[in-house]
Amino acid sequence: MTQNKEKKTKQQSDHQEPTDVTTSTSENQSVWAQSIPMKEQGQIIKRMLKFTLPFKWLFIIAILSATALSLLNVFLPRILQEFMDKYLTPSRGTTRVILGFAALYFLGVLLKAVLQFVSNYLYSVGSEKALESVRRALFSKLHTLGMRYFDLTPAGSIVSRVTNDTMSLMDFLQFFASILTGLLGIITAYFAMAALNGTGALVVLAFLPILLVAIWYYARYSSRVYRRMRERLSELNVKLNESIEGIGVIQEFRQEHRIGQEFEQTNGEYLATRKAMIHTNSLLLSSLINLLYALALTAVLAYFGLLSEHVFVEAGVIYAFTTYVQNFFNPISDMMDSLSFMQDGVVAGKRIFRILDDSTIAPQQHPDASGEITAGKIEFRHVSFAYDGEHKVLNDISFIAEPGQTIGIVGHTGSGKSSIINIMMRFYEFYEGQILIDGKDIKDYPMTELRRKMGLVLQDSFMFYGDVASNIRLFNQDITDRQIEEAAEFVQADRFINKLSRGYHARVIEGGTQFSSGERQLISFARTVVTDPKILVLDEATANIDTETESMIQEGLRRLRRGRTTIAIAHRLSTIKDAEQIIVLDAGRIVEHGTHDQLLAQKGRYYQLYQLQHGVDATAEPTA
Amino acid sequence: MGIFKKLGWFFKAEKKRYIWGLIFLLLADLAGLIPPRVIGILADKMGNKQLTLSLLAEWLVLLAMAAIIQYLSRFGWRTMIWGGAATLEREMRSRLFAFFLKMDATFFQKHRTGDLMAHATNDLNAIQNVAGAGILTLADSILTGSTTIIAMLIFVDWRLTLMAILPMPLLAIMARVLGRHLHTAFGESQAAFSRLNDKTQESISGIKVIKTFGQEDEDVADFDKIVDKTITINKKVYRIDSLFDPAISIIIGLTYVITIIYGGTLVVNQTITVGQLISFIAYIGALVWPMFAIGRLFNVIERGNASYDRVNELLSEKSQAVAPKVDSAPVVSGDLDYQIDRFSYPDDPRPALQQIHFKLRQGQTLGLVGRVGAGKTTIMKLLLREFDHYQGQITIGGQDIRDVPAASVLGAIGYVPQDNFLFSTTVRDNIRFAAMDQDQDAVEHAAAQSAIHDDILHFSQQYETLVGEKGVSLSGGQKQRLAISRALMVLPEILILDDALSAVDAKTEETILENLKHDRQNKTTIIAAHRLSSVMNADEILVIDNGQITERGNHQELLQRAGWYAEMWAKQQVESQLGGEQHDAE
Ligand SMILES: Nc1ncnc2c1ncn2[C@@H]1O[C@H](COP(=O)(O)OP(=O)(O)OP(=O)(O)O)[C@@H](O)[C@H]1O
Ligand SMILES: Nc1ncnc2c1ncn2[C@@H]1O[C@H](COP(=O)(O)OP(=O)(O)OP(=O)(O)O)[C@@H](O)[C@H]1O
Ligand SMILES: [Mg+2]
Ligand SMILES: [Mg+2]
Repeated sequence: MTQNKEKKTKQQSDHQEPTDVTTSTSENQSVWAQSIPMKEQGQIIKRMLKFTLPFKWLFIIAILSATALSLLNVFLPRILQEFMDKYLTPSRGTTRVILGFAALYFLGVLLKAVLQFVSNYLYSVGSEKALESVRRALFSKLHTLGMRYFDLTPAGSIVSRVTNDTMSLMDFLQFFASILTGLLGIITAYFAMAALNGTGALVVLAFLPILLVAIWYYARYSSRVYRRMRERLSELNVKLNESIEGIGVIQEFRQEHRIGQEFEQTNGEYLATRKAMIHTNSLLLSSLINLLYALALTAVLAYFGLLSEHVFVEAGVIYAFTTYVQNFFNPISDMMDSLSFMQDGVVAGKRIFRILDDSTIAPQQHPDASGEITAGKIEFRHVSFAYDGEHKVLNDISFIAEPGQTIGIVGHTGSGKSSIINIMMRFYEFYEGQILIDGKDIKDYPMTELRRKMGLVLQDSFMFYGDVASNIRLFNQDITDRQIEEAAEFVQADRFINKLSRGYHARVIEGGTQFSSGERQLISFARTVVTDPKILVLDEATANIDTETESMIQEGLRRLRRGRTTIAIAHRLSTIKDAEQIIVLDAGRIVEHGTHDQLLAQKGRYYQLYQLQHGVDATAEPTA
Repeated sequence: MGIFKKLGWFFKAEKKRYIWGLIFLLLADLAGLIPPRVIGILADKMGNKQLTLSLLAEWLVLLAMAAIIQYLSRFGWRTMIWGGAATLEREMRSRLFAFFLKMDATFFQKHRTGDLMAHATNDLNAIQNVAGAGILTLADSILTGSTTIIAMLIFVDWRLTLMAILPMPLLAIMARVLGRHLHTAFGESQAAFSRLNDKTQESISGIKVIKTFGQEDEDVADFDKIVDKTITINKKVYRIDSLFDPAISIIIGLTYVITIIYGGTLVVNQTITVGQLISFIAYIGALVWPMFAIGRLFNVIERGNASYDRVNELLSEKSQAVAPKVDSAPVVSGDLDYQIDRFSYPDDPRPALQQIHFKLRQGQTLGLVGRVGAGKTTIMKLLLREFDHYQGQITIGGQDIRDVPAASVLGAIGYVPQDNFLFSTTVRDNIRFAAMDQDQDAVEHAAAQSAIHDDILHFSQQYETLVGEKGVSLSGGQKQRLAISRALMVLPEILILDDALSAVDAKTEETILENLKHDRQNKTTIIAAHRLSSVMNADEILVIDNGQITERGNHQELLQRAGWYAEMWAKQQVESQLGGEQHDAE
């Protein structure tokens, strides 16, 4: 937003061949190779600009100051001219006059400085705020998306969209600043030309179509190059992200060399695409305008040269006219360079809007859902489910868990046990059958109610950066320190927490890697226990926990089981020994169902499983 | 300007590119001098009515040629210099990646993923800018600025010139003061970006937990807080950054004021003519652009500098691993002799292991059991060379493992971590992760051994199925068994299963253990487990508690001891009978 456009061009131009950023690799390659149609580009730009609306005053004031600044820039040289023409040339300059002009000029400079600061600062702050509001919008949108989305999209790619892609919005807004100031300059320059010599102005105008073709071609072609570039970069960042997270495995298996080479290859490919883009920009942007300018100049001079054959052409006219030609092309050249920002912005914008428009939204409850879970009865009626809508992993599941009961789910690995939990927790939408809670469709409860009353201990424990207490409490500030300690005691986690030098305030680093796996599982167990859920769901919640600790936890659960429905998944049959009902799952179907004794009597799969655990035992030692 | 020195290695390596770039730049600038001259000449000629058609044609051809030269040399310097920036970015990214690959666990505990990613994206971008826009602005402003000042000295008046450039030192002062503030502000801003990255990364990775606890709104609120903080920090950057232009305006303004006063006086005294003053003012006008360019230059430089410092700080961290005595050594093999007197984790005074001594002959199996957090995984980590600073020593085939490069120890080991990590590629490539040259038969064999082959055949695309990030589209037991096949694939001398059967059912567990017993006759195996049935056939079982061995022996011996092991065994027995009554183990 400053003056001195003469050469700024050179600076502002290609500089940041925009870096960063990432795509969903699930994206079809050929789609990425396509360019974005003009119409869509326009829509994207319009939508992006909407984000600036809440901060319009910042932009308006910034733009007004910039306009005032350009007026002042016209006015300041006039002071000098006045000084020289009126006082110096006729030699009338006294010390007082000289000092007076100096003071006047300096006053103008101060005003200019203030305007510069105001316009620069407000424009930047406005852009920053707009950018951050895009980030906020993205982040909250992400929380409305269903698990399916996260299954399919690499985390590195999502993160990059929230933090990096949004960054190009900043430059994108700069593009608008340069368009605004540029247009003003172009129009005034054109009128000045036309006033001086109409035909000459038309000669210059004849170059406009070439310009438009160049812009059109650039916008089409470069959106393709930019997309390819971003796709590569995205690949790079996803690789980087995954390698950082899986560094342990890479090192243990000594695959550094191979992984490094793969990375290098993508890195090299990215460099190649980027160089291709630099070539395009160098061929088509301000260099091209400069060429057009020089050619227009040649044409104008030819026109005046030919004209001078017949009529007298003053030197002053030539000077003035050629200056206007320059003033006409300079802002265009400026704007052309910002085109790369626009392209980059459009490509980034498209990626951002793809998240904002994504319809893989989390399962929705009925709009007027208002139920309240009181008893905790759960009923599955002929529920079938497929993650991808095709391959069924659950088939016609039906069972009833009465309030206060414990249901055990067993079965071969991959038989669909966790999937039952996944749909009951509404992580994924199911389309066949019905789940009822307290006799009412699960969709008739607001999500908050479900979340409050149903507690789940996940098969994989996840730790948040922070401390032990905050990992148990999460964001729920209603939970007191005392409650946290009780929950930790309940799951026997107090034993190791108390040994930590800072106890409940011991730092937890990313992934909680300073705890043993079992300790992590205990903490995540405590996280659920502290919410005292009406329905407790345990998905292999004690798989990484020793039997001693486990039986103490079970002892505790048994004491508290009144009024709580529990669903427990376990491979160790001992874990579900207290269950009133046991469901045996195989390949997504319930194959057996009943109490322990009934199932044993059936001599079916459960009996086999049981025998197996026994068989192993039997080979060793005929105990008990 | 320090950043140019810091990047000296790069400019040296890319000397040719930058020299050509600057030559093209110079050429473009020189060609740019032609049009004004031609305009002047043609205008004069037309004004004097001396213009002939052939003359006109000659000058126009010159003009067109200058235009083409300018176009070509512009193309030249752009591709050279921006290409240099792109190359620098690639180079830095390679370095970072290579660096990450060789860093140890301590490093990754200290730095969060989001932060490391921010270094590789945001910071690299700022650094590469120095090699592009930075170099260009510097060269261009020096070029234009110095020629202008020389022209002023020669063509106008040296006294006036000296007076006029009197405020220039202010420029240096301003640059120093603002530059320093800008540097700090950029550092903070980049750290804020890292935090934002960390937060996003964590929320995405932990999305299931957030959903489980219905904490979406709270998480968004937390993000908003971080964003608010980022805005505050960035505002500071903009405040300082927006001061450059006004400060330069004032400095130039001072030059004009001096010119008005001193130049005016000189004209009044008739030392110089008005005409000279006019061209002098025009020259000052020519100085305006390079000065503003310097302002912008500082933005680029300080941003790059702050980022370069951040990246360098990272790169200067050292891996904790002890340097081996030899550079390369054959893969170790033989009996394992594990003699650890004491080990504690870095920054943790408590001993994690004490007096862990055991010997394992080649082909034997060791079982590790014990309560949560007892130290089972820690015992394995030392074997895997994750930490080297313990008292005592571990030898394999008589070779102290700290005396050879980590690679020759790891080459002997197939490790199945407790928390398995899969890569987002196909099932096949996950299995042959450490043996990419192996064919389908070998892959299927490893899969069959870990009892996952049949599962895989049921997947929609069998061995071609993509497992998703960290294996999201697999069940817990499937992930675990893939990790086992991955370890079996390298035909390891020593196989380590760290609670690696916790998520599989009894039947599958038995199958896998049977397969291992059969296929790994003369190979060593270490199994940690909570389910005692996994270790009961081991040659020796160690019961670990609080980092110490409390019981040891084989299954029978341990049962006879009637200690913790026997008690747990009984519990698991009793419980699996689901009878409920308590028996004694014996
Ligand atoms: N997010 C997902 N997307 C696609 N397929 C999935 C997903 N999660 C699980 N599956 C598939 O669905 C089937 C059932 O998996 P599920 O996790 O329910 O098994 P499980 O009974 O819990 O097994 P385990 O005991 O090993 O945990 C498996 O074949 C698995 O590959
Ligand atoms: N990186 C670390 N820094 C500090 N302490 C650690 C670190 N890793 C583990 N510990 C601590 O060392 C102790 C032993 O941990 P280890 O992982 O060896 O237990 P484990 O026997 O494998 O337990 P589990 O059965 O839960 O897997 C635990 O108390 C744990 O908190
Ligand atoms: Mg499961
Ligand atoms: Mg462990």
